[in-house]
Amino acid sequence: MSDEFDSLRRLRPDRVHPDDPAEPPVFEREKERLMSTIDDTRPGPLGVMRMPDIYPRLAYEDERAALEYLVRVFQLEEIREARIEHGEEWNYTMLAWLRAGDGVVMIGHANAEVHRIHSPRTIGNTTVQMMVFVHDVDAHYAHAVAAGADITMEIEDAFYGERRYEATDPEGHRWHFAERFEDIKARGGTVPDDA
Amino acid sequence: MMAAESDAEVIAASLTEPGRFGAVFDRHATVVFRYLVRRVGVDDADALLGEVFRVAFEKRAVYDTARPDARPWLYGIATNLLARHRRGEARRIRATARLLARQRPADDPADQVAGTLDARELWPHVAEAVAELPEEERDALLLYAWEELSYDQIADALGVPVGTVRSRLNRARVRLRELRTTIGREP
Repeated sequence: MSDEFDSLRRLRPDRVHPDDPAEPPVFEREKERLMSTIDDTRPGPLGVMRMPDIYPRLAYEDERAALEYLVRVFQLEEIREARIEHGEEWNYTMLAWLRAGDGVVMIGHANAEVHRIHSPRTIGNTTVQMMVFVHDVDAHYAHAVAAGADITMEIEDAFYGERRYEATDPEGHRWHFAERFEDIKARGGTVPDDA
Repeated sequence: MMAAESDAEVIAASLTEPGRFGAVFDRHATVVFRYLVRRVGVDDADALLGEVFRVAFEKRAVYDTARPDARPWLYGIATNLLARHRRGEARRIRATARLLARQRPADDPADQVAGTLDARELWPHVAEAVAELPEEERDALLLYAWEELSYDQIADALGVPVGTVRSRLNRARVRLRELRTTIGREP
């Protein structure tokens, strides 16, 4: 076969670079994670993950930008099949559900009429703080910093046995990320001597 | 002996028995991983592999069970997810082209296509052409040229009509043909 794409076929990275060795660890690790996600999932009638019985809804002026940010910077994971979108480009609104571990947070457009919830950017204050436990808070922090997060409390070991930091998202919602000392130890990390 | 279950049958069964979905990973993880490595490099591929299958698991209720093979569907999910990691893609393609330009031309049909052109001339131009394609054209093009999917499979993966795939590939084809003509004219 010879056509305009031959040169591109030749440019396929694995035909140019020496073959990367197969990486069984990634397959084993991800299979294990997938299966544990599956075990935790109680499918609803459509196979859609059932949401927890209580979870917050955060209001944003630009919920699409917020979704992108929360996934990219804070590494939350969108539950994609749950997303609901309305309208065209000019009147677009969206509801999205994001997951961290076994917790869920919903984000949507600020809604002054019906629900009377506002973006912190609009009202200049916030009344809620999202508490998120993550695996390897050091790596989570480094990732957030590299991605340009607004760190509003530096990472520190708190006296009650957690390492934590805080960051504020672009519209002013405050996020607190933490990892328990026992989990830090379990992953081979070091914690303060007296802990 | 019964024929092995199709992906569609496994996915349908996983609606009531979620654990069955593990077989989809077993069958396709390697292919998906290699695709991700080619597009975004090994580090991002490492981070994305699991996400592809978690998203697939969440979306399994809307899987079109008329499609026995789940591979195009997984390619589509992977393509959506790697959109966030595109920034490095152009850089990676250029680096590959530089490496290729340094290699001695082998008995490769593509080098005959290149004809008498100096590889140092050709590859950087191809890399630029690919790097500058609109994302949707590049997605279709790479699924075709690197992953060797058919037009139908690409349409399936990207969720667009097959006519759209055809026109995207035609646009890319024209660009690459123009490029060959342009370089060909150079002394």
